[in-house]
Amino acid sequence: MKPVLPPTGEESLRPHSYDGIQEYDKRLPNWWLYTLYATIIFWVGYWSYYEWFGAGRTGPQVVNAAMASIEAERLASAPVDDSSLWKMSQNTAIVSAGKAVFDANCSACHLVSMRGKSESPVAIGPDLTDQKWVNGGRPTEVYNLITKGVLTKGMPTWGPVLGAKKISDVTAYVMSRHKEGDPILVETPPPTP
Amino acid sequence: MSAPLSHEPPSRDSVTTIRSDGSRPFVYPADAHGRFATARQFSAYALIAFYLSLPWIKVNGYPAVFLDVANRRFHLFGITLAAQDLWLLFFVITGLGFSLFFITSLLGRIWCGWACPQTVFLDHVYRRIERWVEGDAVERRALQAAPMSANKFFKLTLKHGLYVLVSAIITHLFLAYYVSLPEVWGMVRAAPAEHWSAFAFIFVATFGLYFNFAWFREQLCIVICPYGRIQSALIDDHSLVIGYDATRGEPRGKVGTTGVGDCIACNRCVQVCPTGIDIRQGLQMECIGCTACIDACDDIMTKLKRPAGLIRYDSQKAFTGGRTRWLRPRTFLYGLLLLVGASVATWALSTVRPANFGVTRMTGGPYVIDAGSVRNQFLVRIVNKRNEPARFLVRLEDVPKTVRKIGFEEVLEVGPLGEVVQPLVLQQARGAYTGPFHFEVRVEDAAGRFHLERAVEFLGPEARLLREEEEEKHRHERERH
Repeated sequence: MKPVLPPTGEESLRPHSYDGIQEYDKRLPNWWLYTLYATIIFWVGYWSYYEWFGAGRTGPQVVNAAMASIEAERLASAPVDDSSLWKMSQNTAIVSAGKAVFDANCSACHLVSMRGKSESPVAIGPDLTDQKWVNGGRPTEVYNLITKGVLTKGMPTWGPVLGAKKISDVTAYVMSRHKEGDPILVETPPPTP
Repeated sequence: MSAPLSHEPPSRDSVTTIRSDGSRPFVYPADAHGRFATARQFSAYALIAFYLSLPWIKVNGYPAVFLDVANRRFHLFGITLAAQDLWLLFFVITGLGFSLFFITSLLGRIWCGWACPQTVFLDHVYRRIERWVEGDAVERRALQAAPMSANKFFKLTLKHGLYVLVSAIITHLFLAYYVSLPEVWGMVRAAPAEHWSAFAFIFVATFGLYFNFAWFREQLCIVICPYGRIQSALIDDHSLVIGYDATRGEPRGKVGTTGVGDCIACNRCVQVCPTGIDIRQGLQMECIGCTACIDACDDIMTKLKRPAGLIRYDSQKAFTGGRTRWLRPRTFLYGLLLLVGASVATWALSTVRPANFGVTRMTGGPYVIDAGSVRNQFLVRIVNKRNEPARFLVRLEDVPKTVRKIGFEEVLEVGPLGEVVQPLVLQQARGAYTGPFHFEVRVEDAAGRFHLERAVEFLGPEARLLREEEEEKHRHERERH
């Protein structure tokens, strides 16, 4: 095989040499250069659009807008005030949806009968059908309690697990076992050991 | 016999398809016919048929390959993977890597010439269209050089029209890998505005394919493809490559002259090369192993009644008079890595079940102590990966008898491709409590086909502390009375 001779123009050979390997200084293909130029032009447009004219929304703005729309949707779908929750507690469709959520998630501690410790002394959760309320008995108080939980007592934070819709359903189901105007006896929680 | 080349005579000092001013000479490779061309054509059509038929063949109710991105379910030859099984991708990628290592060290760039979609579609679809519309290499160059005429305009329109059509067909079937054929068909019949993202994908991908196969061609292999670069580190003098037997061929000379080798310097091997190199200058990075030069040279040698194989598949070692060693440290190492990778991948795939589940602690403290007991609360998430309802039993293993399990008392039904999250509470009376322990949550298919386990720890205070506190409370009570 013929040895490969260095090219006639010595200046096209780059001065460096690694492990005896040298390289030529060849021109890049034009299509490659045009691609580079195109990305530079794109960058100018992109930069002016976002940074100079401020026409496009920045990342944080997009996130905030998305969060705001989620928040708005949540507020719109869950009108949580006492009267609307009482009204929901009389709607059979909502109550039966709430019962499904209750049976799947709450009955482990409060029992399917909702009677908790009153039915069985080994049950974990308190009775939800009597008029003694450990943490307040107005529908919005119940709603907020389910959402936020009572961590010291082991009531979990259901907000992120269930979402607003299911929580208002399950609140309606609990309140369907009560009547508006029933006395609310606030039971002092036993001292936590 | 020697038609003029479409480009400058190739040299090893520069890439033929990039001129010194950076412009690109378009290569018009001549036709090569022979046993390799025929075999490659068959294998290419088989591969195209295979790739294009995957969305049509149903295995276990799903297309053979259906990457359902919208529902995050990936159906591969009857196995359904969920997003949770993504870790398997590690083995798929390393497995591909090791196979590539192994095959390249043995057989060189066999993939590039025989199986790479770039070569398969370019040589056996697009170049065929070009050949059919515009004629052979000489005619194609003449047409390119000719002034615009009705005939040239018609031929160019026909060729590029067919290119776009074929690109669009390939893109649609490619999209079917992701959204299934009926859905592609539905989208095709609806207005573009209704599925604008799919439409944009088709538009851009069709254009990309058209540009690549109509103009870009060998530049992808030479400049963009990383595998082309990696191979130089993977092959050695014993790897199979396409090369020229210089000892037999040199010095080149016309038929009839004495004292010359077998090569008659007809340049046929250069004319047929799709990347524009001269294989007689030795192994070069541009060579994609397409075998065109073998067929071309064999054809000439046969006509001259000389033995074929002046250009052939062989190792660098063999071309310089040595013997090819197939068993080398490198092939053993790559083979071993491949074997390890394949076994782990097989094991990993065998652990994939038609369901997935996870156990997480509920928010709040890691454990709750009330008047009579210590308890741990978990959320169990069960994902059904089948497209039919599934029934599960949730059981506990290695749990002391004194522990009460609350939740999952009955068989749980999860809808097709559904997901259920439910609480699981473990409660142990203070008196029976002896400290934290490890246990297992087991989800069983109600029909007994499979089960899944997760190791979990029951957390709580040290039993001694709890007892001391208990005793102190009793003392207080006694003192009060």
